[in-house]
Amino acid sequence: MQAFDVLVIGGGASGLRAAIAVKGAGASVALITKVHPLRTNSGLAQGGLNAPLGKDDSAEKFAEDTLAAGDDLCERDIVRAFAQEASRDVIWLEHVGVPFNRSAEGRIDLRQFGSNSRSRTCYTDDRTGHIVLQVLHEQFERLQIPSFEEWFVTSLAVDGSACVGAVALGLRSGKLEPFTARAVILATGGFSRMYLPSTVSLGTTGDGQNLAFTAGARLMDMEMIQFHPTVFPKGQGLLISEATLREGAEIINEKGEPVLESKALTREKICLAMRQATQNGSGALSLDLRRIGKEKLASRFPQTLELAKTVAGIDVTKEPIPIRPVAHRPMGGIETDADGATSVPGMFAVGECACSGLNGAGRLAGNTLTEALVFGRKVGETATRHAKGAPVKGFPGSKLSDEEKRLAALTSGNFSGDSAGKIHSELGQLMNDKVGLVRDGAGLREALERIQSLKERHRKIKLSNSSRIYNYALTSALELGSMLNLAEAVALAAQARSESRGAHRRADFPERDDQNWRCHTVVSLAQGSPQVEKKPVAGGA
Amino acid sequence: MQITFKVYRKDPEKDGKPGRSNYSVELDEEATVLDGLLKIRDEMDDTLAFRASCARGYCGECTMRVNYKACFACTAKVSAFTKKSPEILLDPLRNIPVIKDLVFDWDAFMWNKITAVKPWLEPDESSTNGENLLPDSTMADLRKVMSCYYCGLCDEGCTVLPVDFDFLGPAALTKAYRFVFDPRDKAGRERLKIAEKPKGIWDCVHCFEASEHCPRGIAPTERIISIRDKAFKVGITNEKVARHHTSFAASVKESGWLDEGRLALESEGLTNIKGLMKLLPTAARAMARGKAPIPYLHPKRPGAEQIKKIFEKGEREKK
Ligand SMILES: Cc1cc2nc3c(=O)[nH]c(=O)nc-3n(C[C@H](O)[C@H](O)[C@H](O)COP(=O)(O)OP(=O)(O)OC[C@H]3O[C@@H](n4cnc5c(N)ncnc54)[C@H](O)[C@@H]3O)c2cc1C
Ligand code: SF4
Repeated sequence: MQAFDVLVIGGGASGLRAAIAVKGAGASVALITKVHPLRTNSGLAQGGLNAPLGKDDSAEKFAEDTLAAGDDLCERDIVRAFAQEASRDVIWLEHVGVPFNRSAEGRIDLRQFGSNSRSRTCYTDDRTGHIVLQVLHEQFERLQIPSFEEWFVTSLAVDGSACVGAVALGLRSGKLEPFTARAVILATGGFSRMYLPSTVSLGTTGDGQNLAFTAGARLMDMEMIQFHPTVFPKGQGLLISEATLREGAEIINEKGEPVLESKALTREKICLAMRQATQNGSGALSLDLRRIGKEKLASRFPQTLELAKTVAGIDVTKEPIPIRPVAHRPMGGIETDADGATSVPGMFAVGECACSGLNGAGRLAGNTLTEALVFGRKVGETATRHAKGAPVKGFPGSKLSDEEKRLAALTSGNFSGDSAGKIHSELGQLMNDKVGLVRDGAGLREALERIQSLKERHRKIKLSNSSRIYNYALTSALELGSMLNLAEAVALAAQARSESRGAHRRADFPERDDQNWRCHTVVSLAQGSPQVEKKPVAGGA
Repeated sequence: MQITFKVYRKDPEKDGKPGRSNYSVELDEEATVLDGLLKIRDEMDDTLAFRASCARGYCGECTMRVNYKACFACTAKVSAFTKKSPEILLDPLRNIPVIKDLVFDWDAFMWNKITAVKPWLEPDESSTNGENLLPDSTMADLRKVMSCYYCGLCDEGCTVLPVDFDFLGPAALTKAYRFVFDPRDKAGRERLKIAEKPKGIWDCVHCFEASEHCPRGIAPTERIISIRDKAFKVGITNEKVARHHTSFAASVKESGWLDEGRLALESEGLTNIKGLMKLLPTAARAMARGKAPIPYLHPKRPGAEQIKKIFEKGEREKK
């Protein structure tokens, strides 16, 4: 049995940063990830990450912008601490090797991004995620931290009330193995693949949120799903960085006229303006990147040029690219405190899978990678402190054999005829139609009913592939199970919140209702069924 | 459109012998090879193993050969490969151990080799406040190199790897470049020594196939050459190949043409008795064919003085 002080699940920006912090704090640590760290969703980030480094900027202004994007649902103390610490963590990243774009004086250049009121987004062309991820992985390797790559975590081990490890399937060995730890950090990323198309990689299926939820943790603000305005919607969906807007690109209607009155808007507002334009007969919308100019496009957006050509078949220096709002990143996730601790002792969460209240009802563009850095460091330190004081607990005796049985039932060899892919397609469509950018009570009721029937079908899935080695049909079926449980939580929370705020728009409740709804939603399992409750926003106004 | 995929198969739990499965799939005009594979796995054969992650050209995880051409399944449009016939052959990359079907051993092929170049920056622990002030031109060069997808296409095109699988390969050496040319790295000379070890920069034969194959235009071959140049500059010349280069240049500078006898002796090292002994048969053959007259003299070529001046000018400019 593998045993560590701290186990980090997830090899994206958050997980790598957390593992580095644990090692730095002097505990033994290992990382488990279902894909190689350099292939994770973090690598898709383009526009950049925020730090208030400009002369005209301050932590206070950064906090104000973050709070404004969160539409009064952020945890203010958490936002303020985050804004204070951001610069230090981004500078650390520079010291360990990120080749940020530079100003003429050789300083980190800052771009305007989304609804940031100042130029405060540090970037590496339009490949910020790809390069930040590499540098974090470099430092992770420097510390020689054991890394279990292509290991899929199927379950968390809870003994009494504390989280004491996980069970994971080695895709290469085909073996199911227990990992014990005094603290487990979940850094498993988001769940936007429950929408089709979406902007995320194939593995962004909410495994961690579901593992935590079924192990007793609570999910917060699940109804808050950020849609991204500038996405080529065919195929899997190709995000064109919103940073292009502030650098001169325009969203245009069929006649070629700009649609937005201002570009310094939150993503929600841009998406709603686009929807409004389409309803007013604008025809199909597209993004005109030619206005940036060929030279700047080539030097600052090389990846955009390349992928628009290879994926969409469009030369964006010559013609506009069709776009529409597409599901991007949830604000909600596993409920944590300011340091990443969940309600289950020994279980921590960070990054896109977690919800501390930093992002409230809407996220400021460029905050996610900074969040991964700041909270990755913090959660690493907190989990280490916890691990040093926690007693060694045994791995629950039947845990491994229970998991063996569960997987064996799925891979029994009698193909059930129904497939995870078909159910996933239906779910993806359903979420877009009924739990999308704008929702209403009737649609949400229907969504919940249909999610139940999809869950029923999922329960009956049997694979003909009985092998455990690189059995991606098996992992896809498990991922689908996570998405279905979370889709239900999203729809339930969206149904409960009878107002419109941030990313949550209700056609039947179009106004913000501070009297009743300046609070979080929290979903937890009670006797096996999900329940929604309200949770006050701490710190008042 | 109806497409037949003929897919390489190998099952490590059966006899492990390679074979092929054929699948006929209905796909729309816009479909990619990855769309086809996902459909096969989902609806026709759930035992088929292949990797994919970002699914839209960011990450390099789904690298494979499509009709023998190495590329990414997620950006390979089916229509581009079926102009002549509605059949598509799918294979893993060449010269790499295959684990199952299209899943090959990335660890042995690339990740372990990258780890071997100590792929991390040794930061200056004393720098505290604020960022390092650095010119964007230096950073832009690193950004270009770090746009690497780790797709392995340069390694797949490399002409050394098929004869020597232990060669670090262009992908790993390109990763080394990223540190060698990062002014913030404190490992400097030590890192050059890593890249300079057996199976490192000196084993590259400069065939430029890696640069031809790189979809991001990173020019791995040129990066390897730059590391070599830097090794020379800091005086890492005790390797056989480094001696070879120095002797080559000295010979041309002095006589205007290559002195092959001197090159052979100096490349082996004048104190390397064992190495020099190995040269004896070659020298004997050369003598027998009249290529090495006795006494062995290497006369100057006409125009040698001009050639010398060119060298001297170059050397002055370098300083
Ligand atoms: C197209 C795009 C553009 C973006 N642009 C920006 C931007 O400009 N600025 C910004 O700040 N943010 C941006 N983001 C958001 C940001 O990239 C992500 O939110 C962030 O990187 C998430 O990091 P993470 O470490 O939390 O999760 P991820 O990077 O998703 O990592 C999750 C990890 O968990 C592992 N994992 C998951 N489930 C399991 C399991 N069952 N077993 C084992 N391992 C598991 C995965 O293998 C992976 O390693 C963008 C996102 C996308 C998709
Ligand atoms: S250098 Fe080019 S070909 Fe080689 S792995 Fe990187 S992107 Fe691929």
